[in-house]
Amino acid sequence: MSLAIHTDVKEQAPAAVEGLEAKVSVRHLNFYYGAYRALADNNVNLYKNKVTAFIGPSGCGKSTLLRILNRIYDLYPNQHADGEVLLDGENILRPGQDVNLLRAKVGMVFQKPTPFPMTIYENIAFGIRLYEQLPKAELDTRVEDALRRGALWDEVKDKLDASGLSLSGGQQQRLCIARTVAIRPEVILLDEPCSALDPISTAKIEELIDVQKRDYTIAIVTHNMQQAARTSDYTAFMYLGELVEFDNTTQIFTNPRLERTQDYITGRFG
Amino acid sequence: MAAAFANARYSRRRRGNLIATALSIGAALFGLTWLALILIVLVVKGVGGLSPSVFTEMTPPPGGAGGLLNPIVGSLILTVLAVLFGTPLGILAGTYMAEYGRYSKLTMVVRFINDILLSAPSIVVGLFVYEIMVARMGHFSAWAGAVSLAILVIPVVVRTTEDMLLLVPNTLREASAALGVPQWLVIRDVAYRAARAGITTGVLLAVARITGETAPLLFTALNNQFFSWNLNAPMASLPVVIFQFALSPYADWQQLAWTGALLITATVLGLSILARMLASKRVLT
Repeated sequence: MSLAIHTDVKEQAPAAVEGLEAKVSVRHLNFYYGAYRALADNNVNLYKNKVTAFIGPSGCGKSTLLRILNRIYDLYPNQHADGEVLLDGENILRPGQDVNLLRAKVGMVFQKPTPFPMTIYENIAFGIRLYEQLPKAELDTRVEDALRRGALWDEVKDKLDASGLSLSGGQQQRLCIARTVAIRPEVILLDEPCSALDPISTAKIEELIDVQKRDYTIAIVTHNMQQAARTSDYTAFMYLGELVEFDNTTQIFTNPRLERTQDYITGRFG
Repeated sequence: MAAAFANARYSRRRRGNLIATALSIGAALFGLTWLALILIVLVVKGVGGLSPSVFTEMTPPPGGAGGLLNPIVGSLILTVLAVLFGTPLGILAGTYMAEYGRYSKLTMVVRFINDILLSAPSIVVGLFVYEIMVARMGHFSAWAGAVSLAILVIPVVVRTTEDMLLLVPNTLREASAALGVPQWLVIRDVAYRAARAGITTGVLLAVARITGETAPLLFTALNNQFFSWNLNAPMASLPVVIFQFALSPYADWQQLAWTGALLITATVLGLSILARMLASKRVLT
């Protein structure tokens, strides 16, 4: 039934934006939790070195879509996707795809901070060591660089041997971001990265997103309209597993094409 | 207005609460009393026999002087061997159940059988090992004793390893996988680290469980009057010596049995306290 409501919306599937390279291109993507179809025929592009925000009410499939882009859903046996997700033109959903190599290119930061039960230094070095064998001095530099990119260096430089779990929630989340950028991914997926954080930590992470997009292609799921408006270049509005509207962020927040988008953004439903 | 009504209901609840509290305290005291009595009798009867010779001399012939050196060493050897056999097997099986085969049929079957094994009477285990080892080799041996104790260790370790790994939040596994970490490394460097204290506790509890086991040893390691390093021969152990000496008519032997029982109890108590301390700081590192 819900699908019928939106048939008028289908042709709104994202038009290619002139002059921008699509780093990730989602084509006719469906996703299933067991027999339940959570995503229906999604089409969207993540443009290179741009931030794309995904907004929509709880349960609309934003996080589900994000979890397909690095195939983290593969950890669970009864979840599957069909359609195409092209990363630099290669379909990452194809059976032969090495998921670990994919995840090295497509990093992810989760809603809840998840530091590993190791020291701050090891939290960062752990990922780097997976892909590169570096002499100690060089590894130190890489760890420092990652912590600086995570805007955490100044706070932890004197206690790199302390447990990652001894940090505050906001610091833990920045540690997770640092850990993700440390292995030099090309795409970073942020799944409500600030929902457990106070405004100061949130502001720090938003600044980070702004700085980091020079080097990465970023997708962020958020329930916070202001955050989507502040941080992103493009915004996708999702509802009931469908991608309802996709446009540049200014357009979506000032003059959305569809009433439903307008209603959600202004808080009339959701 | 409704005050009187509310008061009646309130005082009824209070009465109910008082009765329930009194009953639970009573039950706890009843249980503790027996434990305290056992410990007091053990200490009173056992301490008298404690002397350096207990740890330096062999078990004596009836009427002679001696100690418990050979059963103490025998028990240590049997326990160490049982833990060496049982722990790796148990941890690997528990790891399979919690990590690789979490959703598989095999895991459900293994968990069910493991729970049966967990509560299986230890004498059955002793008879089983008697059949497959002692009867075939033609003689009792320390190897057979260690194997039967290992069979008691395995289900405890399987269970705690699985439980402790299941307590490691999935978000941690997702976060590791999201870095491209292969599953075996996630298990070794993240899940084991987070569950380390809990798994260690499981092993300690397993040791505590086998320390006092007599039945499986009666059919396997038997007993030995003399000091022996030979794993192919019968070996003395504290529980079996206690069993033999306590039932004897000789006062010296009975005294040694009390002392041996005190030693075992103190060991189990120590291990349990250690396990408790580890478990209480099970929170991730």
